[in-house]
Amino acid sequence: MAEKKKPHPNIFAHDLEKIVKELGKEALIENLKKMLLIRNFETRAEAAYLQGKVGGFFHAYTGQEAVQTAALAAMGNNQWWITSYRCHALALLLGATPVELMDELFGKVTGNAKGRGGSMHFFTENLLGGFGIVGGQIPIATGAAFAINYKKKFPNIANGDSKDVAICFFGDGAVVQGSFHESLNLASLWNLPCIYVIENNEWGMGTHVDRAVCVQPIAETKAPGYRMKAYSFDGMDFFNCYGGFKHVFEEVKKTSRPVLVEIYTERFKGHSISDPGLYRSKDDLAKCMERDPLVIMLKALSTHGILSEDEYKALDKEQKDIVLESLKHAEEAPWPDPIHLEEDVYAP
Amino acid sequence: MSSQQIDIREAIRQAIDEEMARDERVHILGEEVAEYNGAYKVTKGMLEKWGPDRVIDTPISELGFAGLAIGAAMCGLRPIVEFMSFNFSFVGCDQIISNAIKMFYMSGSRFSVPIVFRGPNGAAAQVSSQHSHCVEALYGNLPGLIVLAPANAYDAKGLLKTAIRNNNPVLFLENELSYGLKMEIPTEEYLIPIGKANIVREGKHITLVSHSRMVDLCTEAANELAGKGIEVEVIDLRSIRPLDLPTILDSVRKTHMCVLVEEGHVFSGICAEVGFEIQQHCFDFLDAPIERVCQRETPMPYSKVLEKETMPTKERIIAAIERVLR
Repeated sequence: MAEKKKPHPNIFAHDLEKIVKELGKEALIENLKKMLLIRNFETRAEAAYLQGKVGGFFHAYTGQEAVQTAALAAMGNNQWWITSYRCHALALLLGATPVELMDELFGKVTGNAKGRGGSMHFFTENLLGGFGIVGGQIPIATGAAFAINYKKKFPNIANGDSKDVAICFFGDGAVVQGSFHESLNLASLWNLPCIYVIENNEWGMGTHVDRAVCVQPIAETKAPGYRMKAYSFDGMDFFNCYGGFKHVFEEVKKTSRPVLVEIYTERFKGHSISDPGLYRSKDDLAKCMERDPLVIMLKALSTHGILSEDEYKALDKEQKDIVLESLKHAEEAPWPDPIHLEEDVYAP
Repeated sequence: MSSQQIDIREAIRQAIDEEMARDERVHILGEEVAEYNGAYKVTKGMLEKWGPDRVIDTPISELGFAGLAIGAAMCGLRPIVEFMSFNFSFVGCDQIISNAIKMFYMSGSRFSVPIVFRGPNGAAAQVSSQHSHCVEALYGNLPGLIVLAPANAYDAKGLLKTAIRNNNPVLFLENELSYGLKMEIPTEEYLIPIGKANIVREGKHITLVSHSRMVDLCTEAANELAGKGIEVEVIDLRSIRPLDLPTILDSVRKTHMCVLVEEGHVFSGICAEVGFEIQQHCFDFLDAPIERVCQRETPMPYSKVLEKETMPTKERIIAAIERVLR
């Protein structure tokens, strides 16, 4: 069992009252609904996996929902978004329907990537993926930020593209890949508006971050070496993430400088579905689950008189039903016809 | 039609320059492409003409800038990435393979990656093991990629222009030793389609298939054998993936004999692929086993004596032809 040495980051100071007022009741409930949708989607998809309906690798975002939900709320869909293989949540947040994603998990032709991508490779108009190699998406996001700057210099080719930033999510395990170093160097050198987000859930598969990264906290120690600013957020708290992302977003729009964010979060599941997580004690896991982002958000909303526990249960049921509907669709959706197997290897 | 005599270096430069004039999305990035005017002077004068937003010096960071360019291509730009040597592409290999080549298919046809990776491939003069590898067999294994290897200025210009307009990742393989080769080519714009081999020299006794710099060795060998009454048909593949099988197969059906020549290694090489296709499609037409002339199974040695020994030579090609004809 790895002994946990907690780093001491300077967690961003958010103003809860201001955020509650800024977002308002409707948007807050909308964000909670999205988190509930993600939680229900993955819970049901995992059950389908165990029944043999879903294959391959399956990496759940369970426990980390507040992070990307808050990022979307703060920066909006109209940016370039990039993430790792743990991509179910971001696709849902960016507008992929539960139906098209569940169909994809089932390997159906109606799926998000026509049954070619699977759990690790989801896409939307603004989601560049779903990348399967640890750290492989970091240069891609850097290129998206490069394209944003390029189109500003050559407006004739912008084609209505008005994005401000590229947001790249990756885990603590990706920080020690060369792609991280090369990307941050280029982004800083060329003033690229890229927000690099380390979702530090403490585990690179079964290897604790203490055994993988030589200096912690990660962002606050590494960013200065790239002449970048660093921020640390509490990933279990939607409001802290929202406040932090909003701040960073406004800053990057103004400076066109890359920023490194580290988010302290917890995944409640194993690395993937086939990982029983034997390297974590039950006590540790139970303790981190006390800080379930859904519970924290519910508490904040009920304290502010926005939502009661019963209303929360009704919302949860509503999202569960949406997911159950998508499962039914996936069961009945057609398989890809092998006659099309070799199509689209090359773009027209 | 007016013409100009230019070398391969200038042909490539013109192709890039014309495509940059035609399409603002096109830009070039790589090590020393701008202020230094290119390690092999292919991009000479381009910084001055197009400015630093479109002719971009990168640090020595192949993984970083290859991946960056792939991301930019996914977001609507059309980058040309220069590798100072294709041997350096290995540093950025994961980006090329996992992200560029697989993206269109894997994303359910959502994101195409219109990008050209170009630079010198294979051996130069005594640059030893780590600067001399021929990469086409390694990358040729990957569906989703186009691999082009022109042997002269005419093909280099026409193929590169087509490659830049293509919506897929393209590996465009040049050769350091060939940059100075001159040729009379049209001044007017022209394009060469991808996937078309070229019959460089017609002959009826034996087919010689090759690509890139080895085509010239094949032509020299054919010229020498012509003096002995042996008429060799020389085919320049130009495009390795996709492969122009009909041109190769038609030739073998005519000559009934075949020798395959490749600068890269013999094991799992391009010749292995071409040879397999020939035996499958022309089994009844072949009068002798196919021979291969490739780099021997050694890393590239430094000494010029050893370097010459491991590489295909005119003499080795002639010997192989004579063995097949015997």
